[in-house]
Amino acid sequence: MTVKQRCLSELTQLWRSPWQLAMVSYIPLISMLCLWWLFSAGLPRQLPVAVVDQDNSQVSRMLTRNLQANSVISPQSYANLATAEADMRQAKVYALVVFPVGMNKDLITANKPLIDIRYNSQFLLVGKLLSSQIQLSLGNGLVTLGAKKLLLSGTHSESLAASLSPVTSQTTALFNRNNNYVGFLVPPVLIALWQILSVFVFMNSLNAELKPAEGKPKLAADFWQSVIAKVLVLTPIMLVHGSFILVWLYLYLALPIAGSMGLLLIAQLAMLIILWVIACFIFLIIREKASCISICTALFAPAFAFMGITFPVNDMPLLAQWWRLIMPSSHYIDSHVGIVSYGEALPQLLTQLGSYWIFLPLIPLIFIFSRFAVERSSIEPEGGQ
Amino acid sequence: MTLWQLMWRDLKSILSDKDLVLTIFGAVLFYSVLYPLPYLHQVPTEQNIVVVDHDHSSLSRRVIRHADASAKIRVQAVLPSVDEAQLWITSGEAHGLLVIPEGFRRNLLLGKGATLSYGGDASYFLIYSAVVEGLVSAGMDASKQIQMVGLLARGQTAAQVEKSLDSITINSVPAFNPSLGYTPYVVPGLFLLILHQTMLIGICILGASQWRKSGYWQSVSPLLLVSARVLTFSSIYAVLATFYLGYCYYFYDVSVLATISEVSLFMLPFILATAALGTAISSLFVRRDLPTQFFLLISMPILFVAGFVWPLALIPEPLVLLSQIIPAVPAISGMLNLNQMGSGWLAVLPQWLQLWALFVVFSGLALVGIKYRQQQSLANRHLTE
Repeated sequence: MTVKQRCLSELTQLWRSPWQLAMVSYIPLISMLCLWWLFSAGLPRQLPVAVVDQDNSQVSRMLTRNLQANSVISPQSYANLATAEADMRQAKVYALVVFPVGMNKDLITANKPLIDIRYNSQFLLVGKLLSSQIQLSLGNGLVTLGAKKLLLSGTHSESLAASLSPVTSQTTALFNRNNNYVGFLVPPVLIALWQILSVFVFMNSLNAELKPAEGKPKLAADFWQSVIAKVLVLTPIMLVHGSFILVWLYLYLALPIAGSMGLLLIAQLAMLIILWVIACFIFLIIREKASCISICTALFAPAFAFMGITFPVNDMPLLAQWWRLIMPSSHYIDSHVGIVSYGEALPQLLTQLGSYWIFLPLIPLIFIFSRFAVERSSIEPEGGQ
Repeated sequence: MTLWQLMWRDLKSILSDKDLVLTIFGAVLFYSVLYPLPYLHQVPTEQNIVVVDHDHSSLSRRVIRHADASAKIRVQAVLPSVDEAQLWITSGEAHGLLVIPEGFRRNLLLGKGATLSYGGDASYFLIYSAVVEGLVSAGMDASKQIQMVGLLARGQTAAQVEKSLDSITINSVPAFNPSLGYTPYVVPGLFLLILHQTMLIGICILGASQWRKSGYWQSVSPLLLVSARVLTFSSIYAVLATFYLGYCYYFYDVSVLATISEVSLFMLPFILATAALGTAISSLFVRRDLPTQFFLLISMPILFVAGFVWPLALIPEPLVLLSQIIPAVPAISGMLNLNQMGSGWLAVLPQWLQLWALFVVFSGLALVGIKYRQQQSLANRHLTE
């Protein structure tokens, strides 16, 4: 059979298996769009915060208005602490601000009142964000109080700003300027999904080569030719899905991208090829349908946690840093961030792709295992004659 | 066959199937170690930043020292220009920068005010927030120092100075997850999802391997088979759940606020509903290698829609409503409220009842599904005869 015929037979196989067909057509599309839709709000806005105003003074209301003005915070008034606390425990509000009794009086009489803030750190992301935003808003409100005080004590209005906060700060979020969660979280999530999809599609296709037999089945003598055909057929198909992620995020949603999308495609191609190598390795050792899939699941299901986007790599334990390297997605995501954020060019990308070297020892191993697994029928009949 | 005998047969066929043992016991144990592995160090500390010091004064050096003293950041280098800092950041050697402008100290002493610029790599949010928190506190510290010197010079007493610098104390404290650690944040929800998914996969693999063969499952009534299967898997998972919710929560420093009886009472409908759902879906599978693929693909959306990673208020309403039919979703939110935030039993009663309702509905579906499978195998037998 020529390569073309083999590829055609791969395609007909794909067409005849409903699950495989679904895995290369609508399942990736639906799941990718669903995951994006989940995070599509992008920026956390209007998160409910309980405000318990026990002071009911002009100052406490001014501070509440300041909270209201912050786009992240949506203050909810509570008459007493008990109900606010109960709602906090049910995650109906994510933080709690208490203005104490006599806050205004304490301020006027030069006592130091205490504003209590509790934020829900069980929902770490929301909690941390609210903690900093509430402090920022309250801080802004308190500055006006401080200004009044300084003016009363005879400070000149010209020097007011400098004596209130001599050092002002300007904070810039580099590369993802508005702290958009779509740009931050969605690419690694989708890449993790894409990796799982790709490895399943390839593994299913390899599994189709298994003929039912006693014990560990042998593979047909032309196994490697059909693997080449599978690579030739499945690589472009999965690459289309990979590029769909890129097109959706960086062209349709127009998220900022510093480098070129062509380089990202090269990185995706490299990731797919390494993924095929790993899949072949697992398949040759196991040669059992369900077990092959289980091993792939065990390996690649936690890919997202190990990518190092949500939790920095250099703060992971050493074992996790090593485990991370056996997943192609972690190598890819480094290049992805490099290209999208830092605008890496081809030479840097190529050096990064060099990090795949740890998978090279798999190739001689695959060769050795294939000698055991593949039937040598094409030679034996000749010897028999 | 009595219920006990049937449960015994089910248990035997689970334990004699290598893939099932791997999926149920192997995966649960393996993931209990693997998933939290990257997060074991809990909080990102000592993130590398670079400083561009245009001032070279005693004060600028103090700011740098204070920044370095912060637990969150480490000053990697002091560079002459911003361009060079950019190189450090794009090569990944630093994740943030601090720019001290020229004339920083002079302007402050003249009472003109000065601006410190902070930048953090927002491709990684946790790193960004660590860098910014560290730098802002160092900057505030310098600002306070200057203000204090100024006020003292104007003849105020130290006690007065302290009061006018901090007229209000803001006491911001995290609730529920006091260390702001990453494992107490991820583990409770994730582990429930792992239990849920592995149980579904297990039941479906068991079903898929039985439907095409004749066996004990054909000779009993659907009601008996469904009850036996649900009870067998529920008992196994009751044991595994005690390991996860008991030992693992303790090991990973998850805060635990509910009593053991409350947790058991809440887990009961969750495990039963999941087992019933599994039995219902298992009647759809006839290939043993498909359940793993299907459930792994939907596990990521379930994890994110459960509402502890990304706030529920920001997830599109249709997705939230749709997700309510998955037992893991009400279970995770209820369990977080009950056990991690201590909301008390009454607050999670709706979720508890919802889980019971799901159990009833899925049991009905499971009966229909099993009946269909039994009839079909009967029809096939007639055909072959």
